[in-house]
Amino acid sequence: MKRPSILLRSLVIVYVGALLALPLGFVFQQALSHGWGQFWIALHDHAMDLAIILSLKVVVLAVPLNVLFGVGVSMWIVRHPSPLSRFIDVIIDIPLAISPIIVGLILELAYAQNGWFGSAFAAAGLRIMFSYPAIVLASVFVSLPLVSRQVIPLLREVGDHQEQTAATLGAKPSRIFFTITMRSIAWAAAYGVTLTLARVLGEYGAVLIVSGNIALITQTLTLNIGANFESFNAYQGFVGALLLALVSVIVLVFIGVARHRLERKRHVSFV
Amino acid sequence: MSVSYSGVTKSFGGRLVLDDISDIVNEGELTALLGPSGSGKSTLLRIIAGLTPLDSGRVSLAGRDVTNTPARDRHIGFCFQDYAPFRHLSLRENVAYGLKVQHVARAQRREQVDELLRLVRLEEFADQYPHQLSGGQRQRMALARALAIKPDVLLLDEPFAALDAQVRAELRSWVRTLQQEVGITTILVTHDQVEAMEIADRLVILNSGRIEQAGRPSFVYDHPATDFVASFLGPITSIGGISYRPHELEIVSLGDGAESATVSEVIRLGFEVRVVLAGDDGTSTWVQLTHDQAKHLNPGVGQRYGIRVRSSKASKDAPLSSNVDAPR
Amino acid sequence: MPVAPTNSLDVEVARPPQPWWSGLRSAGLDSAKSITGKSLVVGYLSLLILIPVAALVDNAFKGGLGSFWSQATSTEALDAIKLTVLCSFVAAMVNAIAGTATAYVLVRDRFIGRSALNAIIDLPFALPTVVAGITFYTLYGPHSPFHVNITGTWIGVTVAIMFVTLPFSVRSVEPVLESLTIDAEAAASTLGASSFYVFRTITLPAIMPALLTGTGLAFARALGEYGSVVFISNNIPYHSEIASSYVYSLVSSGQNAAAASVAMLLLVGALCVLIVSNVVARRLARRRG
Repeated sequence: MKRPSILLRSLVIVYVGALLALPLGFVFQQALSHGWGQFWIALHDHAMDLAIILSLKVVVLAVPLNVLFGVGVSMWIVRHPSPLSRFIDVIIDIPLAISPIIVGLILELAYAQNGWFGSAFAAAGLRIMFSYPAIVLASVFVSLPLVSRQVIPLLREVGDHQEQTAATLGAKPSRIFFTITMRSIAWAAAYGVTLTLARVLGEYGAVLIVSGNIALITQTLTLNIGANFESFNAYQGFVGALLLALVSVIVLVFIGVARHRLERKRHVSFV
Repeated sequence: MSVSYSGVTKSFGGRLVLDDISDIVNEGELTALLGPSGSGKSTLLRIIAGLTPLDSGRVSLAGRDVTNTPARDRHIGFCFQDYAPFRHLSLRENVAYGLKVQHVARAQRREQVDELLRLVRLEEFADQYPHQLSGGQRQRMALARALAIKPDVLLLDEPFAALDAQVRAELRSWVRTLQQEVGITTILVTHDQVEAMEIADRLVILNSGRIEQAGRPSFVYDHPATDFVASFLGPITSIGGISYRPHELEIVSLGDGAESATVSEVIRLGFEVRVVLAGDDGTSTWVQLTHDQAKHLNPGVGQRYGIRVRSSKASKDAPLSSNVDAPR
Repeated sequence: MPVAPTNSLDVEVARPPQPWWSGLRSAGLDSAKSITGKSLVVGYLSLLILIPVAALVDNAFKGGLGSFWSQATSTEALDAIKLTVLCSFVAAMVNAIAGTATAYVLVRDRFIGRSALNAIIDLPFALPTVVAGITFYTLYGPHSPFHVNITGTWIGVTVAIMFVTLPFSVRSVEPVLESLTIDAEAAASTLGASSFYVFRTITLPAIMPALLTGTGLAFARALGEYGSVVFISNNIPYHSEIASSYVYSLVSSGQNAAAASVAMLLLVGALCVLIVSNVVARRLARRRG
């Protein structure tokens, strides 16, 4: 096997380094540029702390929702094919083709007070837009297919013979699911969950519209970072960015491990 | 435990796969469902197992109607062609799965699993994982796993198809011995007539979703009910418009009231020698000779001989069937 | 010539797919449960995707086709769309080349730090876009440590989009390169072909379908990108405003119908890109057999 030349390798390293590694390192440099003492104080910024709490609250609801949905819909599409399930297979990928801004827009058109359903919800005393539910809705939307895209190909590959064998051995569907199915798709699901987590935590455009971006109330960490940066408090923005960058490094490490465990890369869909 | 099914009908997307099938499998017997691909034999096995719903008909195990019983309550053992090992479980855990489902106590479970592993001669591999085993070992593991729950019936879907020739022959006789030892009613699906005749007490021959014939292997071989069965169970050739097994014919000197023919090809396959002859009416016939017979006769291409039915065959039995087309 | 009849038959063809619980279902045990599950999925998807998309179509065409068209193609809208398409195209092309080179090095080369390189490729999927956005503004803005200011220019927008879309090209080409047998390449080079000639005639045709799909995905994603671009672009109307920024400005000023019209156009454009790249990739793959 002929190796690529050193020149090509160097060019690639320089390109990837300048485009990806440099910005990542720059976040850390900026956030720590005023020393650890300043950094410690900035960490306790009230608005940022509230934003972190809100972001975590969104993750806690949106990620499990999408994992449940993703695994359930994958089982349906692979193990129970029908015209309806094939239609769903197509439409669950739509969120990947839509701009986050458009996601925010269409959710507002449907659920704002003057939108399609807003008045109905308002009459029932429910306010969706510019509140926690809207942020969850937007987060769920943008990360909807990330789990199922990983799980579907693996479920297909594994086939249903193990599950059927378990059934003939007397196992109930729930037991089959947890002792056989879940075990075969565990790494693919974990990979999907990681991508979902990263996407939910990092969503900006869609959440910007549906949350109303109200400081201390509906501002997630990403919105808080953007707001700080725009109000000429770049340093505070970079402190928040550092926290998210740390999470993304952990995510990267986990993605690497999960890929390795899934061995054959063709099982891994990267978006 | 006997198995019986009646009026079993199944179609997939408008294509009729099983057409009003009925049969009874006696207790302790090993029955082979034999047929070409697409004959519906695997579908029938899955219907008996409860893995595929049927359109109409009834299935009963030991006189108990199980038509509407889910697979998990039928108490059957099922082995897939790919053995479907639980990939994330060790061999021991694979075999123990059914016992765990039944909440068998740990100590007792261990004892039973050990005994099963001894039975299938896999004791030393107990803690290995399926990917570390060979095809034959995986197959024996699948059998042990199915037998663990002491099923009433054992259902095997093409159990030897994925193995290479030598292992296949070995496992075949081993499975037969095991089945007789355990005394379990067994239904096995295969497309290989040699395998079916070697292993089975009884053959059920399927073609295009219908049962062509059922009976003891030797009887079915000698008395095929239809042309399909005759040609499916073994080679056939014809002489004077009548079908015979090639070994039922002999080549003699011209005259003697035999049909005269010219040798057109001699194919030597080790012990067996096939002599292809062209009759004077243009039809072709082939005769199977043993190595010794061929050596004695030494037929050469272009030589003329007579063909006739061996005397033992002619005196005892009628021909296979009449009006069978000559093989291509 | 007569041929000895043979009984060797093909193994059983695959049965039509049957859900494993269909047997259970025939017993009527789990049908209620599965119908509830399906209704939940359909309801969830309707609330989340179908109804909002329907609301978009409704709003875009509320004032009729003429009003849709005039709003979607106003000068400001057209300028924003033109800029977005141009920058997305340039970024996708650059990354098609750089991504292929990166995948090639990742698959064929062995060196210290290769796994780090491999890991960091996915950074754009893991790092929030807003973090990338403020970082690029600071790196290449008015206070740039390199004294380069590309804010408010198409170059700035393109660089941000290049960041976001690099992994699409790399990760779609990589598995194909891995599965490609090296035999053909080796055979060609023993015939005296230069490495570049081997790449152009053997490797490139093989990875083309995957590269096209990956580039299509990257381009579609770029058309809608917001967080990483919005800071460096400065959002100057008619000059450096990207399409999503324009939609956002319409939404914030309450012009929902106009926002819906532009969004509709963008959405259809992105879907077309995805469909066309998929169809072309599939044709290419089929021609190669």
